[in-house]
Amino acid sequence: MKIVGIAACTSGIAHTYIAKEKIVRAAEELGFEAHIETQGTIGTEDEVTPEQIAEADVALIAADIKVGGKERFKGLPMVEVPTEAVIKAPKKLLQTIEAKVMKK
Amino acid sequence: MNVREVLDERVIDLQMKANNKREAITYLAGKLKDAGYIADVDEYVEDIYLRESMGQTGIGNYIAIPHGKSDSVTQVGIAIGKMEEEIEWETLDGNGVKLIFLFAVGNDNENAKTHLRLLAEVARNLGNDDAVRALLAAETVEDLKAVF
Repeated sequence: MKIVGIAACTSGIAHTYIAKEKIVRAAEELGFEAHIETQGTIGTEDEVTPEQIAEADVALIAADIKVGGKERFKGLPMVEVPTEAVIKAPKKLLQTIEAKVMKK
Repeated sequence: MNVREVLDERVIDLQMKANNKREAITYLAGKLKDAGYIADVDEYVEDIYLRESMGQTGIGNYIAIPHGKSDSVTQVGIAIGKMEEEIEWETLDGNGVKLIFLFAVGNDNENAKTHLRLLAEVARNLGNDDAVRALLAAETVEDLKAVF
């Protein structure tokens, strides 16, 4: 499964980056590919590319605030969760997403 | 600059003694004040608690990341305290907290991007279970720095 997405939190200082790392590591362990953009106090980093979006199976938004640029993921199944959900149980979340998205 | 440069021995205590969350935060805020990162302990702690009221900062694995933006911050930094015994905290896994990363960030961040990027890098490492295990086992500041 190929994942693109965005992480963003209330202060844009800490949870955003923890959430990204959790998703990327869980994806690696499960044999998935994840490209996660961070929208934090320092601005947008690791912006997802049109190519990554074109190849993706699902868009994952892990955010506690409104994020910018969701329209880029139009046409993809989109999963939106708070950052807490990916920090708490990233592998379980990705497995649930895979079960829903890939077995259609 | 690299991450180790934001890890300042003056605001790290790996043998911290605190009986509860407020004691721990206030103690670390005192260290930030003494080292010149913040201008006022009370004002800073109040802003930290404002962020605490918006959601859990205990991310599981005995780690807490209290933070929030405060006008009392004069220099971006991070205080770290580690305790032998866990204290109560609102956490994602229901466990207590032994290791606290207290972020000092101001409201005007135009000139602080380099430092904020390093704080983000510290946070990123807290999303790595192996790094967290090593941090919980750290006994010296050198042990701690070696993780980053």
